[in-house]
Parts: sequence; structure tokens; C-alpha cells
Amino acid sequence: MRRIYLNLMIAIRSLYSFKLRTGLAVLGVFLGTFSLILVSNLSASLTRKGEMEIEKLGRDLLVVRSGTIRRFGGASRLLSEATTLTMADAAAIAEGAPSVLDVSPSSHRTFPVRYERNVLASILVTGVTSNYPNLRNFHVKEGSFFTVQDDEGLSRVAVLGRKVAEKLFGDSDPLGRNILIWRVPCRVVGVMEEKGVDLSNVDQDNQIFVPVNTFLRRFVNKNYISTIYVQSAGSASTSAAKRQIESILRERHSIRQGKRDDFTVIDAKDVAALKSQATSMITILGRVAAGISFLIGAIGILSIMILIVNERRLEIGIRRAVGSRSRDIITQFLVESSFISLMGGAVGVLLGFLVTVVVFKVSRLPFTISPEGFIISFVASVGTGVLAGIYPSRKAMSIQPVDIIRS
Amino acid sequence: MPLCVLEDVKKTYRIGEDEVEVLKGINLQVERGEFIAIMGPSGSGKTTLMNIIGCLDIPSSGRYILADKEVTHLSDDELSVLRNEHIGFVFQNFYLLPYATVLENVLLPTLYMEHSKNGLARKRAREILELVGLSDRAKFKPNQLSGGQQQRVAIARALINNPDLILADEPTGQLDSKTAGEIMDLLAKMNEQGKTVAVITHDAGTAAYARKTLRIRDGLIVD
Ligand SMILES: Nc1ncnc2c1ncn2[C@@H]1O[C@H](COP(=O)(O)OP(=O)(O)OP(=O)(O)O)[C@@H](O)[C@H]1O
Ligand SMILES: [Mg+2]
Repeated sequence: MRRIYLNLMIAIRSLYSFKLRTGLAVLGVFLGTFSLILVSNLSASLTRKGEMEIEKLGRDLLVVRSGTIRRFGGASRLLSEATTLTMADAAAIAEGAPSVLDVSPSSHRTFPVRYERNVLASILVTGVTSNYPNLRNFHVKEGSFFTVQDDEGLSRVAVLGRKVAEKLFGDSDPLGRNILIWRVPCRVVGVMEEKGVDLSNVDQDNQIFVPVNTFLRRFVNKNYISTIYVQSAGSASTSAAKRQIESILRERHSIRQGKRDDFTVIDAKDVAALKSQATSMITILGRVAAGISFLIGAIGILSIMILIVNERRLEIGIRRAVGSRSRDIITQFLVESSFISLMGGAVGVLLGFLVTVVVFKVSRLPFTISPEGFIISFVASVGTGVLAGIYPSRKAMSIQPVDIIRS
Repeated sequence: MPLCVLEDVKKTYRIGEDEVEVLKGINLQVERGEFIAIMGPSGSGKTTLMNIIGCLDIPSSGRYILADKEVTHLSDDELSVLRNEHIGFVFQNFYLLPYATVLENVLLPTLYMEHSKNGLARKRAREILELVGLSDRAKFKPNQLSGGQQQRVAIARALINNPDLILADEPTGQLDSKTAGEIMDLLAKMNEQGKTVAVITHDAGTAAYARKTLRIRDGLIVD
């Protein structure tokens, strides 16, 4: 320990005379650990965020969509529309699928919305049933949600998303006011809590809820719906629920064996898996970048170490003369190169950490630190130093004291 | 048994096709406690001989026995251990590490000692610096010292591992005559305290400090 300390003190002073070149050599390792820390903290945070979103969506939630849906990257795209999903299908699922607790059929379209002189050209209007808030874990903040009676009686009532309420009413109280959705006057009975963007990238706060039967009769005059939200009996039974829903709908829609479904059942885990695919892409790219940086760092350290060994031939000769064995010399230079590398690593970790904190703050990601990132950074720094030090220290070892002392 | 025994030691160097015989059969014994000078003109093989006595190099033929150990066929690393235990070097050009302090330079050989203890090594280094008259310069860098002071640091470094033999090759070559005298006085003092000292020089004034002088010419001891 004392030997390493004394040798390092001497080495640091000799490195000091190559400040710039040492700095450049350190830069690669610095960038390597920097990107490692940044990426691993970021992906840990994104994973955490995904989990939080599943939580928000409802862990036990399944979504039945009308038509065939394909997903590209994060966004889902409707491949073919269908007019076959109905309120009766929703009722049949609630009746016939044992793993299903509750269903909420729903349909939506955008309409212009007006309150006095305030006009919003295109707002998502979603028809849902009265159990929707419970199913989606998305609740009313002011006033109340509409009731089963509202739905059955085709009442013209509306519950506003947070942002819609702000846009239409500003600071004044929207409860009890009448707004005009397309050509239908509706009374505002409630305002939803803030929810943000959900997994399918729809801003939940920028929509208006109306009773689904009111929506179908008075707004679109159709008898088919677009979506059924399904609550399964606990997360263990979501796959069972999915199978039951599929077989009920295939039968009701008379889809024969081998034919394509005219609906799609998605569960929260499907969506989350897609998101985490995107996250792991970021992770992989980050690791590749880190790997390249470490390689550059290794080359930098290799060249500075060759330089150092050359500059210190006399020192090596003297050390050999007073009794250092070749393995002492090798150890000395390996320790020196790992030390240079670790310096870069330490700065990279520190800055990586600071930048992640800033990124988390700015993009409002959950604050998550990945211990894995720190461990990999440390190991990679020392590893780079040792690997880059092997060749120069072998060169140092071959220096003979007689050759040095004679000249 | 003498400390050093050289029997018919020859050293030849190859330069391309040619073989140059620099030492042509040296027979020499150094007793413990002796203070000898080896004198000879430039190119006579003094440094070559010192390298062999100091275990920096091995003979091409003949035998060398240091402190009852046969040196002739030892490996590089075994020679290192032997140097560390038995030899203290003093060179013409001092050969101190420029970026290390005086104290660190003196401590250098202890880094390669078996069983060294930090506190003891430091304590000993301070005692030796006191002995060579540099206790107030422990934190200085070599380039902040005069030539004579630098050579004293080198002597302190040579003493730190308590070697059997202090081997000095032209220790006064870079110094003016007054300083040279002080350095030789110091070596003589070490000898009085029981150290075996061998000085290699072509300067008769320097050789005069020794109690015995050997002359070397053309790779042979002449008297
Ligand atoms: N590595 C070597 N290869 C070839 N020849 C060498 C080598 N080392 C020494 N010599 C030759 O050996 C001879 C003796 O050299 P050495 O250094 O021992 O002389 P010296 O007595 O110490 O001289 P000086 O008083 O100038 O220091 C010289 O002719 C030198 O050229
Ligand atoms: Mg010489």
C-alpha cells in the first residue's frame, strides 16, 4: 500500500509535466463513463416511468379495439376499420367471460366545442359509461361524473378534461354551465383530475366525456362503437380474460376458423413491452457509444503511456539498479495507467450524474439511479487502464539499467 | 570468505560481427570493511567492472561470488533482489528522480525491499539524511540542490537498505575539488563506521582517500 502510494505520488508529479496530453488521454474514458452513467440512469428512469404508466392505465386493464391494429414503433395504427363492435358485444363480454369483472364500451370523435364566444375547433369527445372513472382509475375532481340514469335517458351532460375546462372557462367555474358540442347543447356536470398523456399517446386532459348512449344517438347517430375497456379479475387472469373475450367476439361476429379477427385485444403489458423495446434501443446505442469512447480512451492512454515510459527511461534504469524486479516495473505502470483511466472515469461519473439530474428535472422523469451503471463504469475504467497499460509496461520492463547508466 | 570474489572474469561485447573483449580475466577480492579504489585510464573497463561487481551485469566467463552467493548465472530478477540487499550505488551523474523529493529519492530502494515497514523506513531515511547533513532538505527537489548536495542524497539512498558494499563510479566526476573532498570524506566516514566501499575513478586525488588502490589497464588488473 505504501509502495503504491509513494509510486503514485511520484507518478502524478511526472504526469503533471504532460498536462495536456494526459488530459486528452483521459477524455475518452471520461466520455465513456459519462455516456454509460447517463444512459443507464436514463433507461432505468424510463423503465420506471413505463411501470408508473401501466399503474396509471390500470394493471388489470384490457382494451378491445374495433378493427385490426398494427403497431409501428410506439404508435398504433388502424389498418382496417370495422363497424361490427357494438354495445351488445360489451354486454356479452360482461356476461359470458368469467375472468372479466367489468366493461366500459366507448366511442369517440372530434367536434368543435363552444362556450359563449370561446370556440375550440376540434376537441376529442368520448362517449363512455358511468363506470369509466373506476375502470381507468381516472376520477372527477370537481362536480360528479354522469350516472347510469344519465346514460339510459340520453341526457345531454358533459364532463370536461382539465385542459378543456381551462381553455373554455379560464378561471371561472364551469359547473352547471351549458356548452355547445357540435350542435348539441350540454350541461357541464364535472371536471376531471389531471392525468397527462397515456400509453397510447392520447392527452387525457384534452377531451370531453359524454354518456356513450347520448354520444351514439345524438352525436354520431351510429350503433357501433370503437372501444371496450375491460377490467379483468386481477393481473393473473388478464391472459385468460383475453382468450375469453376473443372467443366470445369471434362467435358473435361469426368469424370462422382461420379468418382474421375484426377486432384487437390489447393489454397494458403489450403496450409497455413496446415502450421498453424503445428504451432498450436507447440503452444499446448508449452502450455502443460508451464502448467506442472507451476504445478511444484506451488508445489515448496507450499513447501517453508509451510517451511516459520513453520519458522515464532513466527513472526505470535507476529503479532497476536499486532493486526493482521486472514485475515491480510492470505493476507500477499498470497502476499508473489505471489511475489515469480512473481519473477520467471519476470525472465522467460525476458529470454524468449531474447531467442526469438536470435531464430528470427538465423532462420530469422519475428520479432513478442505476447502481449497475456505476459498477460498469468503474470496471470499464480500470479495465481500459490495465489493457492500455500492458504494452507500455512491457516496454518499460525491457529497459536494462546498464544501458541507461552507461549513457 | 571475502565479500567479493572475482575469478578470471571476462566480459566481451558484440558489435555486429566484431567481438570486443573489455575485461580480459580479472582476479579480485574485496574483504569486508575495506575501502578500495580502482583506477585506470578512460576506456580501460572500469565501469564494466563496476557493473559486474554491482550485479548490474554478469560476466561472459569466469565466476563472481558476492556475499557467498554465486552471481554468475542468476536471472535478471534475482540480480535485482541481490542489488537491493547488498549494493548501494553512487553514480557520477547522481541519477536522482527529478520529480521526487529528497526523502522520496532516499526511500526508493525500500520500495523493493522484502518486509519493509513504512514507519521504520521513514525514520531510517531521516536518520541517514541527518548523517549526510541534509535533514533540512528532505522536502526539496533535486534541482533545488547543489551538485554536492545531490551526491549526498545519492549516498543516503545507497545507505538506506544497509548494504554490504557501497559502489561509487566516479562519484566526484561532476564536482569541484572542494566539494569532491567533502564527498570523499563522507565515504571515508562510512567506511570507518564499518561499510565496505569501492570507488572507481581515474583521479589520483580521489583514489588517495582509499586504503588500497588497484590499477586496471586494458581490461586487466596491473598491480
Ligand atoms: N555495451 C557495450 N557495447 C560495446 N562496447 C562497450 C559496451 N560497454 C562498454 N563498451 C566498451 O568497453 C570499453 C570499456 O568501457 P568502460 O565504460 O568500462 O570504460 P571506463 O574505464 O569506465 O571509461 P571511462 O573512464 O571513460 O568511464 C570501452 O572501449 C567501451 O567502448
Ligand atoms: Mg566509466
